Amino acid sequence: MEGFYNFLISNAIFIVMIIVLIVWIGIFTFLYNLDKRLKGIEKEIKGDKHEK
Amino acid sequence: MVWKIFLFLLLAFVSVAGISFPIVENPQTWYQFPLIPGLEENAKIIFFHVPTAWLTVIGFLISTIYSIKYLRKKNLDDDTKSYVAAQLGLIFCILATVTGAVWAKFAWGSYWSWDPRQTSIFALMLIYGAWFALRSSIESEEKKAALSAVYSILAFVTVPFFVFIMPRIMDGLHPGSADDKFTPSGGPVVNFKMNSNMLLIFFLSLIAFTILFYWMWNIGYRSLLIKEKLNKKIIRG
Repeated sequence: MEGFYNFLISNAIFIVMIIVLIVWIGIFTFLYNLDKRLKGIEKEIKGDKHEK
Repeated sequence: MVWKIFLFLLLAFVSVAGISFPIVENPQTWYQFPLIPGLEENAKIIFFHVPTAWLTVIGFLISTIYSIKYLRKKNLDDDTKSYVAAQLGLIFCILATVTGAVWAKFAWGSYWSWDPRQTSIFALMLIYGAWFALRSSIESEEKKAALSAVYSILAFVTVPFFVFIMPRIMDGLHPGSADDKFTPSGGPVVNFKMNSNMLLIFFLSLIAFTILFYWMWNIGYRSLLIKEKLNKKIIRG
């Protein structure tokens, strides 16, 4: 862990890349949840159609 | 469709430029950034960390605007728009806190120092976290919408203080603090010694992330509105 920390200290560009990665993980999480919501809606619509 | 292609190109350009453009002491060409003493290569996080903090404010602002709209017209769709904007605001608030903490580990030596900027964003997270707790504790849709609209308006009153005022009038470690030697009287982070190219990419980044936010908010509330309409239809039979 210490070695990795020292590597990041001397290669600061990777700190920037970690930060970019964190931002994209946040955006991905939002999109993943949205996808789950849409799947729920699709399921409800299908169920609704079958009932009819 | 055109704006989505524009957004893709803008985000791609900002990501590539923000990461790969070199930082040199005396920039000679358009693709070189100036060296900022004390920050060096770490200065590049400004293109990704600051937009998250910016979108926090935008999210909470949109949430407040739609809360006011809800109180005036009592349209539940406005409550949904307000909810999704606050949700996104909180997501970006968490991202700003986490990315800031990672940066702080290498710039200040520890992830968390209770710097005024860190304290203020933490307070904002608690305030808006409580907003979601309040919403989830109320069953009635109308009551939930009315109470959260009032809370949202009151909560937003604290946002300018916590984001733009407190961290700038107090001494701290964060760039832009009152005792920051690079911005003597305290002030916005953009007062750094950025050259015009760096400023241009910084503002392009803010624009790109703002458009991305709009897109996320738009599909977010549209999906919720469809879900709510579908639920109502099922209940009515």
